[in-house]
Amino acid sequence: MAGDEIHWAGVRDLGRRFRAKELSPVELTTALLRRIEALDPTLDTFVTVTADRALADAKAAEAALRRGDARPLLGIPVGYKDLYATRGIRTTAGSALLEDWVPDADATCVTRLQDAGCVMLGKLITHEFAWGIQSPGHRFKPARNPWNRGHIPGGSSSGSGAALAAGFCVGALGSDTGGSIRGPASFSGVVGLKPTYGRCSRAGVVTLSWTLDHTGPLTRTVEDCAYFLAALAGHDPLDPASSRAPVADYVGSLGASIRGLRVGVPRDFFLDGADAEVVQAFETALGALRGLGADVRDVVIPSIWDAPSFMVIMASEAFAYHERDLRERPERYGDLLRERLMSGGLYTGAEYVQAMRLRERLRREMLDVLGTVDLLATPTSPKPAPTFEAMYDVSLGFPRSNMPPFNLSGLPALALPCGFSKQGLPLSLQLAGRPFDEATVLRAGHAYQETTDWHRRRPPVG
Amino acid sequence: MGGDITLDDVKRRAQAAGLAIRPDRLEMVRRLLAEALAPLRRMDARRMQTAEPAVTFDASGGSDDGRR
Repeated sequence: MAGDEIHWAGVRDLGRRFRAKELSPVELTTALLRRIEALDPTLDTFVTVTADRALADAKAAEAALRRGDARPLLGIPVGYKDLYATRGIRTTAGSALLEDWVPDADATCVTRLQDAGCVMLGKLITHEFAWGIQSPGHRFKPARNPWNRGHIPGGSSSGSGAALAAGFCVGALGSDTGGSIRGPASFSGVVGLKPTYGRCSRAGVVTLSWTLDHTGPLTRTVEDCAYFLAALAGHDPLDPASSRAPVADYVGSLGASIRGLRVGVPRDFFLDGADAEVVQAFETALGALRGLGADVRDVVIPSIWDAPSFMVIMASEAFAYHERDLRERPERYGDLLRERLMSGGLYTGAEYVQAMRLRERLRREMLDVLGTVDLLATPTSPKPAPTFEAMYDVSLGFPRSNMPPFNLSGLPALALPCGFSKQGLPLSLQLAGRPFDEATVLRAGHAYQETTDWHRRRPPVG
Repeated sequence: MGGDITLDDVKRRAQAAGLAIRPDRLEMVRRLLAEALAPLRRMDARRMQTAEPAVTFDASGGSDDGRR
């Protein structure tokens, strides 16, 4: 394999090459560390590169391979969103408040990937506390979009999305409270999965909103996503919301046909205000699913326009988490985050309860619709990645998002590339399914990627 | 629950909460609240009597088994 192609290789291909002794984990890790050193100064995806640790992990993987170890993620380099606690390694949450925090234990998801044999490349920048993009003068720099550095790569798992798009790692972990895995996947042209609420542990991950937070993987392909989910999923007694629902064979079920799969399209809300290019790419993607034999039909979620009440819940819970620091040392928070967090303190208790009632009604309606179809399909975002200038302009409103309904309902939702805008920015398809039916969601996404090549396009980076 | 959120509403809420919102952020906060509360202003809380909050209390304190 040519020197620069290994940056884009996937889990299965790398595993085969490792075992055929065509490539070693140390060679791959060394190449990626060199690539990060050369190119990341223009993209700022990493907060902390753990080069020594990465090489140690890679050497351990080589030793395991020599023993015949068959773990599929053995020797695979990954990056962790800097919300995930990593023992002995700085974990900043993208904030000056935690710039010196060195945890004494790993987050459960970190432990699971390390136990699977992954190689830790380092910690990836996150929007501050998973909600506020770093503005000029902030303690940390924001990650930039490898497709166009003047645009954001999405957030809050910004470094995760950008690092994958730039070929710095094979997988990355993110977190998603209102779209923070799927948004970066969408804007950076990669794959991101928000699993079912409770599917993957949140233990050891800095909280934004307890009833909305999810953890999950970002990768360049749906197949790789299945490999990572297989390692991450499962009950964790350290996470009170962790589910005991059985873990499916996500990788094994990928190749099954999607002929006859019923795909529902809730056009109301999800296509409202969408750019024409987004709509066109989305309809083309639906056509591809039809071509694979899926039964694509329109559906209606009656209360979907209640979804913006999500912010009452998210902001209130986030304020509860940060209240003490907001009152005692507000100056330590970034310029674009401080008042957002404070807004959560302005809702009344009754408003929070009413928002939770609307949430329950919406959740039931979405489950009812998923009793008539197997999947829901929407554009992940109604528009491609905005510019930094737009993000920093507080006079502009917050664009409506297609992602929070799946945090409110806890349903699994996958974002995958489905095209490009005229400006060359990625466009994305969102597929969502029934609780704990990630297998069907991934199967459909994989089938789509077998007949399209959007996920193989590469940004103009080195 | 009628009417949109005004800047005065934001100031009153902030005062009640004991929080100081910078003047140049008041409009941003107003917009955040207005958009988030709009669905609540549309709802008829009495007609939704059967809809309980998504979070319910479990006296035994057991972890969920995928019911949520």
